Amino acid sequence: MEFGPIWRALLKNKGGAILIALQIAVTMAIMVNSISIMQERATNMQRPSGMDEANTLTFASISFASDADNRATYINDLEMLRNTPGVINAVGTNSFPLRGGGWSMGLQTEPGEDMGGVGSAIYFGDEHMIETFGVELIDGENFSPEQVVFLDPDNFRWEPYVIVTEALAKTLFPDEEGSVVGKTAYINQNDPVQIIGVIDQLQAPWQGWDEVEHALFSPVKRAEGFARYVVRTEPGMRDELLPQLEEMLASADKTRLIRAAQTFDEVREGAYLGDSAMIKILGFVITLLTIITGLGIVGLASFNVSRRTRQIGIRRALGATKPAIMRYFMLENFMISSVGVVVGGALAIGLNIFMVETFNLTPMSWWVVPAAMIVLWLVGQAAVAGPARRATRIAPSIATRSG
Amino acid sequence: MLKMTDVSKIYRTDTVETHALREFSLTVDEGEFVSVTGPSGSGKTTFLNIAGLLEEMTSGTYELDGRDISKLNDRERSRVRNEKIGFIFQSFNLIPELNIFDNVDVPLRYRGLNAAERKRRIEESLDMVGLASRLKHQPAQLSGGQQQRVAIARALAGEPRFLLADEPTGNLDTHMADSVLDLLSEINSNGVTIIMVTHELTLADRAKRNIFVRDGQVTDAAPEFLRAANG
Repeated sequence: MEFGPIWRALLKNKGGAILIALQIAVTMAIMVNSISIMQERATNMQRPSGMDEANTLTFASISFASDADNRATYINDLEMLRNTPGVINAVGTNSFPLRGGGWSMGLQTEPGEDMGGVGSAIYFGDEHMIETFGVELIDGENFSPEQVVFLDPDNFRWEPYVIVTEALAKTLFPDEEGSVVGKTAYINQNDPVQIIGVIDQLQAPWQGWDEVEHALFSPVKRAEGFARYVVRTEPGMRDELLPQLEEMLASADKTRLIRAAQTFDEVREGAYLGDSAMIKILGFVITLLTIITGLGIVGLASFNVSRRTRQIGIRRALGATKPAIMRYFMLENFMISSVGVVVGGALAIGLNIFMVETFNLTPMSWWVVPAAMIVLWLVGQAAVAGPARRATRIAPSIATRSG
Repeated sequence: MLKMTDVSKIYRTDTVETHALREFSLTVDEGEFVSVTGPSGSGKTTFLNIAGLLEEMTSGTYELDGRDISKLNDRERSRVRNEKIGFIFQSFNLIPELNIFDNVDVPLRYRGLNAAERKRRIEESLDMVGLASRLKHQPAQLSGGQQQRVAIARALAGEPRFLLADEPTGNLDTHMADSVLDLLSEINSNGVTIIMVTHELTLADRAKRNIFVRDGQVTDAAPEFLRAANG
């Protein structure tokens, strides 16, 4: 291998090589960190919400009549929904995972101010919540109908029972090895709530929240002018039932509107629209940068072949075979690319550390840097192959031409 | 050593056919120092290109060391060039980006010799041409005569059976030209066959045998106009 002579020759004409190496380095730094961001977003998108997403739908009821009996409508709506063939269960709630809006409160194990609360999403609903959401009660018990009350907006108080996610229970009571059922936590600093049940997993409505796995059910029914219903159907019935149920509710009460009718797939798609767009944009940027870098390598290699036409002829005259000429340019590009990817690797790591510290991103996976190195090496070799093949076609008789 | 029989070379474009060599026949024995002389356009360089396997002939036969060259593929032709032939060009043809050591090293690397053997040959050949102390110099740091000596060292390092020299003194002043020709004579005296293409009869006279080429064919003696042109 001609590493030494090629390296020394590169040092004689280093301008173009340095520019290409820098281009590769910058591409590498951007590529690695973009992949890291894409990976983080994709991982977030794949997290389960805890709901039975494939069989869940939702809609909102908005009353515009000033004298409407909202509580009666609420009771009637849920009765109709639950009695519809194909519906497993239904519940009225304030929010659900991935909705983007809802309630959160701090929970603590001791009452009083400055006790270091743990944030949790609050889902209001009745004893039908567990089955409707499709979560599993892994400890304790569900709400009894007697524990569930209608919310009084003029005299709100926290009901004394809650059902929490396992993640919230572990954060609240990290040293508890046994059951947390029966334990008391304090909400709103001083209002005691007893944990009567633990569910396996359910996300908060905000998918980007640090404490997204912290959620609790509070046994409260909200029958105001605005009601949000979540319906769980038999497998395969969701899409068919959505328009039927929407029509049924709209027909049952002409003084309200049914809006935001969505399957949970649509809820998920809407929730991750930004992440999905970010993945596409970054993917496009990486592809574009890689193409531009590849074209830069093609340009430099083509220039070098033209500039060295005579030199190539001399090498051929001195005994270089066509593969040897090809190898020369491939090796030269490999060396330029190696400088680029090594500098780029350092840049990428530095940029990642900065981004992790500044934007609270997840540190990149260990394999991203070597994978990007291999990709850029391959791109470089593919880009230089064309000009190198052209170089092999230069005739050795060039050597005897004057000039 | 070298035997060309009825070799012809025709360059074709869409509209023009140029007969650079016509039924060119020549035999050079081992150890000879032959000059090939002729006016511009006579076919000297085409002969050199074909003799050096830098170009393929259109028809005829060419045997080098008893081997029929016309049947070789590109890889085999490269190997023959590398192992049997040393080239000395008018414009030296050193690679400007490489130092003297690396320039002489170029054909040796293509032969696949190990580093120690290459180093020995490079140092010996540069010593022979009196440039052993300039290993790390760049070509641009040397005079024309010195650069041609490096080119000769590069040709000798491969220990070729014969040297093909294309106007080896064309870019040198008289003093340097004499020095290079002395060197070629010395190399020839060591048993290396040399074919030197030149248009100067005074230089051609330094060879042991003179071949004159006109219109792509070997002629018996130097034409009068060539002698007149050379004074």
